[in-house]
Amino acid sequence: MRWRLPSLVLPILLALAPAARADLVYVLNSGEASITVLDAVTRQEVRRIPVLREPHHLVLTPDGSELVIADSGGNEVFFVKPETGEVLRRARISNPYHLEYSPDGKYLVVASLRRDQVDILDAATLELVHRFRPGDKPSHVAFTPDSRTVFVTMQGDRAVAAFDMGTRTHLWTQEVGPEPAGIIWHRGRLIIGIMGSDHFVTLDPVTREVRHAFTLGRGAHTIFPSPDGRSLYATSRVDSRLAEIDPETLAVRRTWAIPGGPDCLTFDPEGRVWMTLRWIGRVAVLDPRGETWETVRVGRSPHGIFFKPRRDGIGGDFALSMAGATSGTRPLAAPLPRRPHAGAPPPAGIMPGSIPPAPAIPAALRRTP
Amino acid sequence: MFDWMADTYGLFTGWLFEEAVQPAMYALGLMDWAEEAFHWLDFFVFGLLGIGVVYLVCRPLEAWRPVERWEDGSAVWTDVVYTLLARLGILPLLAFVLFAAVQVRIEGLIADSGWVPPTLESTFPTLREYPLLALLIYIVILDFGEYWRHRFQHTFGWWWALHSVHHAQKQMTFWTDDRNHVIDDVIAAAWFGVIAVAIGVPPGQFPIILLVLRLGESLSHANVRLDFGRVGERLLVSPRFHRLHHGLLSAGATGKNYAVLLPVWDWIFGTADFDRGRYPSTGDPTAPESLASGGWLRQQVDGTKRLLRALRGRDA
Repeated sequence: MRWRLPSLVLPILLALAPAARADLVYVLNSGEASITVLDAVTRQEVRRIPVLREPHHLVLTPDGSELVIADSGGNEVFFVKPETGEVLRRARISNPYHLEYSPDGKYLVVASLRRDQVDILDAATLELVHRFRPGDKPSHVAFTPDSRTVFVTMQGDRAVAAFDMGTRTHLWTQEVGPEPAGIIWHRGRLIIGIMGSDHFVTLDPVTREVRHAFTLGRGAHTIFPSPDGRSLYATSRVDSRLAEIDPETLAVRRTWAIPGGPDCLTFDPEGRVWMTLRWIGRVAVLDPRGETWETVRVGRSPHGIFFKPRRDGIGGDFALSMAGATSGTRPLAAPLPRRPHAGAPPPAGIMPGSIPPAPAIPAALRRTP
Repeated sequence: MFDWMADTYGLFTGWLFEEAVQPAMYALGLMDWAEEAFHWLDFFVFGLLGIGVVYLVCRPLEAWRPVERWEDGSAVWTDVVYTLLARLGILPLLAFVLFAAVQVRIEGLIADSGWVPPTLESTFPTLREYPLLALLIYIVILDFGEYWRHRFQHTFGWWWALHSVHHAQKQMTFWTDDRNHVIDDVIAAAWFGVIAVAIGVPPGQFPIILLVLRLGESLSHANVRLDFGRVGERLLVSPRFHRLHHGLLSAGATGKNYAVLLPVWDWIFGTADFDRGRYPSTGDPTAPESLASGGWLRQQVDGTKRLLRALRGRDA
C-alpha cells in the first residue's frame, strides 16, 4: 500500500499547484481590426480581441498596469490588462496613431497621422490639454527624459517638430530627410528613420544639426533599444532588413534580411527579438545569437507588438524598460540596471525602473520649473 | 480550408507588394502612402478574384439553361471590356480614398470641439463583439442605398440618359453588370463611398462588401433561366427577378425590381414583381442602336450626347 499514497497525492498536489503562466505577446493587426494574443511558448493564438478599425501602436501606462492600444481609424484608445488580455475600458480620442506617455507620467501625447494634429492629453483624465497642428502627417513621438520637450516626425514635411510641454509652444521644425518615421531619444540626441531613403540620421536638439547615423536599406523605418540597453535594433521595410546597432558608435553590428517588411519590435527576457512583418501577416522571432528565425502567423498587416512576461521572477520593470512596451520611444540614457533603479524615489504612480538614471540633457533644454 | 485560402491570399498580396508596388513607391518618393497602397492591393486582387469567382459561378449556369442564344455575341465582348475596366477597383477606390480624405478633414474639424463622430459599432457597442454581424448590417445599409440610387437612375431624365447605356444591352449576360457610362460609374462610386464613410465602414471590410455585392449583381444579370423559388425570390435577387427589370417594358421610370441584392426593398416600396413565369427580352427601345451594339467608346460618346440633351430639357 505504500506506493499508493504518492500516486494519489501527487496528482492532487499538481492540480492545486499554481499553474505556470505562459508569457503573452500582443500583436496589433492593423489591416483586419483585431489584436492577436499569442502564447509566447507554444506560439499559438490564445485570444483575438476585436477592435473598431485600425490599431497601429500601443504603449504601457506609466505604472505598467495597463496596455493602451490606439485604434486610429476607430477614433478610440482602449485599455487592456496585459496579464489577461481583458479589455478594461475605452476612450474616444481623435485619430490616435502613435502615442507616448511623458516620462514623468503626467501627459499622453498622441500623433494623428491623418488629421495632421499632435494632441497633449492629461494622462489621468485623457482630457485634451492642447492641440498642435504642426504640418503634414505627424507620425512618431519621442520625449526628452525630463519630459519637457516632445519631438514628432512629420512624414509629409521631411521634418521633425519640437514642442515645449511646459509652455505648450511649437519650438521649431527641422528638415531631416524624406518621409521620416520612427524616432527615439538616445543619449542626448534623436535618432530618426528616414523612410524615403536608406539610412537613419541623428538630430542634435540644441544645434539642430542633422547627421548621417548609419545606412541600413531602402525604407529605413524604426529603431528600438533592447531592454538591457546594450544594443539598438533598426528596421527597413523596402529592403526588408533588421540590424543590430552599437549604441555607442551607431555602427551596424549585424544585419538580417527578413522578408515581409519588419516594422515594430519587442523583446523577451531571453533576448529574442519579436517583430511584426507588415506585408505578410506574420510575426518573426529572432535570436540575435543565431542566423535563423521562425515566423508565426497572425492577422493582416500586423504593426504594434508587445511582449508581456508572466513567468515568476520577471517583474514589471522588465516590461517598462523594454522598448516594445513604450513604442520604442521611452528615453534610454544608458544601459539599464538589471534591478529596479535604486536612486531617488520615483514620482507617485511611477513604478521603480520605469525611469532610467538621469541622462546628460543638453544645457539648452535644461529649465527650472 | 478557408484559413489556408486566406493565408495564401495574404502571402500573395504581400509578395506582390514587396516585389512590385513598394519599390515603385519608394522610387517615386511616395513611401508615406505605402500603407494606403497596401490596402489598395486588396481592391486590385479582389477585383481579379471577383472576376474569376463570377465567371466560375455564372458561366456554367449560362451554358446550362440560357434564356437566349445568339448567333453573333460581339455585344457581349463589349461588356467584358466594361468589366475589366470597372472591376479592378479603380473607381470605387478613388471614391473611397477621396471621401475618406474628406471625412478625415471634416472629423478633424469636428474633433476640435472634442467630439468624435460615431460609427455603427460605437453607437451599438454589442456589435464590437460580432464583427460578422456588423459586416452584414453594413451590407444591408449599403444595399438599401443602392436600391434608391437605382430608382433615381430611372426617375431623373438626365440620369436615365446615362443609365440607358446599361439597359440598352439586348444580349444580357453576367458581364452586363459593369456596362455603365463612366459618369454614371463616378456618381455610383461617390454615392456608395459617401454612405460607406457616413456609417463608418472599416476600410478592411470594404473590399469584402464590394465582392459580395458584385457577385450578387453579376449573377442577377446572368443569361440563365433560374429563379430561387417562392421564398428565395423574396430573399435574394435572382436572374429571373432582375431580368424582369431589364425587360423592354421596364425601361425608364415605370420600372420594377430595382433591388441590387435584397428584394425586400422592392417589397417594402411597392416596386416588386415576383412573377416567376416571365423571362422577357432585354433592351431599351428608346435608345439608339449604337448604345446596344456599338463599342465601348461609341457608347460612351453617345451616352454623353444623350445626357447633354436631357440636361438641355430635350428628350434623351
